[in-house]
Amino acid sequence: MKSRFGCLLLAACLPLPAMALTGEEVMKQSQAAFLYPGKDFKARVTMKLIGKDGGERVRELVMLRKNFGAPGGEQKYFMVFFKPADVKDMSFMTNKYPAKDDDRWMFIPAVNMVKRIAAQDKRSSFVGSDFTYEDVSGRDIDDDTHVIEREEKLGGRDCYVVKSTPKTADADFGHKLTWVDKANFLPLKEDQFDRKNAAYKAFSADEVNTIKGHPTIIRRTMKNQQTGHRTEAAYANTDYDLGIEDSLFSERFLRQPPRKWIE
Amino acid sequence: MKFSLVEFSIARPKWVLFGAALLTLLFLTQFPKIRTDTNPKHMLPETSDVRVWNDKVDKTFALYEDTIVIGIENAAGVLNLETLGRIARITEAVLALDGVASRDVNGFTTITNVTAAEGTLNVGPLMPAAPKTEAEVEALRQALFGNSLFIDRIISKDGKTTAIYVPLEKGANGAEIADKIRQIVAKEKGPERYYVAGDPVARDTFGAEMFKLMALFSPIAGMIMFAAIQLMFRNLALSAAMMAVSMVAIIWSIGLLIGAGFPVHIMSSMAPVFLMAIATDSIHIFNEFYFRYREGGDKLAAIRQTMATVSRPVRFTALATAAGFAVLLFMNIVPVQVFGGLIAFGTVVLRLLSFSFIPAVLTFVKEDKLRKAAGGEDVTADPVARTLGRIARLGATKPMATLVVMLILAAVSVWGTSKIHINNNLVAWFKPSSEIRIADSAMNQALGGTSLGYLVVSGTEDDFIKRPEAMRWLEGLQRHLETLPVVGKTFSVADYVKRINRVLHDDDPKFDVVPDTQDSVGQYLFLFSMSAKPADLNNVVDPAFRQANLWVQMKTWDADAMRQVIAAKDSYQKAHPLPVKAEPAGIAWFNLVWNDEVLGDLVLGFSLALVVVLVILALDFRSLKWALIAYVPLLLTILMIYGVVGFVGKDFDMPLSVMSTLSLGMAVDFAIHFVSRFRQRRAEVGAGETAPESLAWTAARPGKGIVRNALLFAAAFSVMMAAPLTPYVAVGAFIVSMMLISALLTLLLLPALIMLGRRWLLDQGEAK
Repeated sequence: MKSRFGCLLLAACLPLPAMALTGEEVMKQSQAAFLYPGKDFKARVTMKLIGKDGGERVRELVMLRKNFGAPGGEQKYFMVFFKPADVKDMSFMTNKYPAKDDDRWMFIPAVNMVKRIAAQDKRSSFVGSDFTYEDVSGRDIDDDTHVIEREEKLGGRDCYVVKSTPKTADADFGHKLTWVDKANFLPLKEDQFDRKNAAYKAFSADEVNTIKGHPTIIRRTMKNQQTGHRTEAAYANTDYDLGIEDSLFSERFLRQPPRKWIE
Repeated sequence: MKFSLVEFSIARPKWVLFGAALLTLLFLTQFPKIRTDTNPKHMLPETSDVRVWNDKVDKTFALYEDTIVIGIENAAGVLNLETLGRIARITEAVLALDGVASRDVNGFTTITNVTAAEGTLNVGPLMPAAPKTEAEVEALRQALFGNSLFIDRIISKDGKTTAIYVPLEKGANGAEIADKIRQIVAKEKGPERYYVAGDPVARDTFGAEMFKLMALFSPIAGMIMFAAIQLMFRNLALSAAMMAVSMVAIIWSIGLLIGAGFPVHIMSSMAPVFLMAIATDSIHIFNEFYFRYREGGDKLAAIRQTMATVSRPVRFTALATAAGFAVLLFMNIVPVQVFGGLIAFGTVVLRLLSFSFIPAVLTFVKEDKLRKAAGGEDVTADPVARTLGRIARLGATKPMATLVVMLILAAVSVWGTSKIHINNNLVAWFKPSSEIRIADSAMNQALGGTSLGYLVVSGTEDDFIKRPEAMRWLEGLQRHLETLPVVGKTFSVADYVKRINRVLHDDDPKFDVVPDTQDSVGQYLFLFSMSAKPADLNNVVDPAFRQANLWVQMKTWDADAMRQVIAAKDSYQKAHPLPVKAEPAGIAWFNLVWNDEVLGDLVLGFSLALVVVLVILALDFRSLKWALIAYVPLLLTILMIYGVVGFVGKDFDMPLSVMSTLSLGMAVDFAIHFVSRFRQRRAEVGAGETAPESLAWTAARPGKGIVRNALLFAAAFSVMMAAPLTPYVAVGAFIVSMMLISALLTLLLLPALIMLGRRWLLDQGEAK
């Protein structure tokens, strides 16, 4: 009896092989925690684009997101811009599909025109910032191979360090290392390297808040190590599960976004 | 002190030789640290306004200092499946090269194109992958020729040439990357021709040639001089001593240069040949020694007498030469300063050796050999000396006629001088048959031009550039600049705005204009920035939209092209007032500034050298009158060479302007020797000889030294005329002609002038 209990105790102390995560699983969980929490999501995003010499430009927008499936599945984004002044009222909509090019539309108030934008280059900068579209809305897990390089503490938090290498040459980077928080699976830091293995871009999660039970990165920075240019993004009025209607994602509302969502 | 140095050297010749060898070894240890610098930007100091400004512009607009341009030409047109496949493969391989700023490489596969089809706006690479069908090739043709941004930039109007622009990361090795690119294109078998051009390629090729010149031409020049000296003095020990002296001076000077941390630049790469030539001034020692030895027969006494007689002129000619080079220290062009210091140091070393090393070697020369060699040195017996004497007698007996001929020559030269065209063109430093020149002219013929300048247009407040009037102003300025024959292509942010306006309106050419409101401009650019590469916009506007950067591609590297652009800009601004500043920048602007610095330096350096040389002459002769007389052949020599430069139409560039300054210090040597020895002679013989006879003697005896010196100098520099780079050729030709003309004028014109002014000169001059 006693020895049996001892055996059990021993077994409980040993890590179960089935519990060990692969790199791919870590990144899947991270994607769910970072880009898919809640049914929908809203934030007022202020981006500061800061040059090497300190010159600053501001982008301000409201970002709405709704999930149309499980994490990793279809999502729709709706954005309305406030700053800079001349782009006020421009709005932007993206339908994101797994393993397929996004659909994007933009409303250009100066010519009162909605245009579909072909999204062939995922490397494009998001609103002129150091974030690419992929940095903002994610990259298909299947596009890269993921390996856990090591586990280490980052700022007092236990992390997996996952190395992701694109399977094809279409990515902006050669490989990247992501520090994923073991507790909440948020990416706390990401170092991207170019195809010549030189440090390229560095992402950092500067502040994390829990909102409606979802740990959320509310301040983040992306720095281009090669040009010294960086973008600081702050998410304000962050909220989840607001009940955003499917009908919002249409050309009609792109032209005239409902006030209740963009205040 | 100098005299005791001679005595010491005669007494302890072995010590002197050993000491010199030891010091030489010490300087030699610095040689492995050698670095070359061929970047024309380093011609001006880092703190110079133009470099500070250009760096700032590079930063503001995320521009690269260096870009290699790959030209691909197919006589049957590049728009076919095979050539496009090659272009795609080449671009892919180039993107993977270390040191290449891959994200901003612009060619068919990477350049951003804005199109619209079936209500969809498409912003992305023009040709993401090589086309697989003829229909795709046709679509590419439409896209290329339907977008004015591409024509003359990545496709020639006739469709036969395309270019890939390859910007380099800071500090990347342009020569290495260019080599790798050549290897990449060499793998492609096909009818295409490839050109690798651009500033970094020219620069690094130049660097390689410089080394070749130092390593190959300096020894050849040395050997020619050695042979010439051997022919003149027929004594191996003496010839070897002369060469040893110049080698020692070269090693000390270059060792000091390298040890002090300076890179070898175009000017200092010429230093060995210069020092070798300056070393030939020791000829006067040997020349006089042979005459003295023949007269006396005692070696040591001959050495002492020789050193006593020539020490003063040799000292003063060295002083004049060193001063002529030291003047360069006051110039603004860095490598010229370094060069001036280098040669001034080398000249002092040479003189030091003249009074120690050379007398020491003379003690070792076997008497019997000396007797044989010196046998021919007699003013009356030697045919060369007799001829020289006759030349001087001609000048002395027909002074007026000589003077008139010289005045006519001077007048013609002044006329020629007025035709001089000041210009620096880095590409023209290569010969027309060189790969660089061929690539450059092929690219300039097919596309918008390889020389790049910018006009930075600054408004008074943020977002000013987004105003329609600012956009239209930019566009108007571009059209105005494009009327200049030297301008091949311009582009600015206005081109993007117009393009988007047109594309949004179903590609209707009516909308190929700047829209009417600032909001439209702002929104178009925002739209563009969301899909294009960041550099596309960064290169043409600053982040705050206060400044725009207008790119001007020119078809020539002539500094003058940028001057025309600036003049056109000014006249446009006058006709179309807008509260903006439009300031030139870029490498073409740098070249213009540098060009003007050369002119300023020339005037400054030349005036300084004129004054310095006159002062040294006056000090040497202790008479301003004699100084002025000795000055005349020198001035006429330079004037005649400038006249020829003007008539030939050769660009007056940096190496030539430096030469003209230096030439004063070197060409004056002959007059110093001539006048000093003539006055010595007059003092010795007094009334026992007529003035024309003394002049003839001077021309025959020290004059022979002058001619020997001039011939050696010319021999050394004639090697440079075979160099693969035109500045070396020009410098070689300049020095050769200067030496020969100045020697002739000294022997012919100086006697004429002395005879014409003999009352004024001799009576009072001798009375002292």
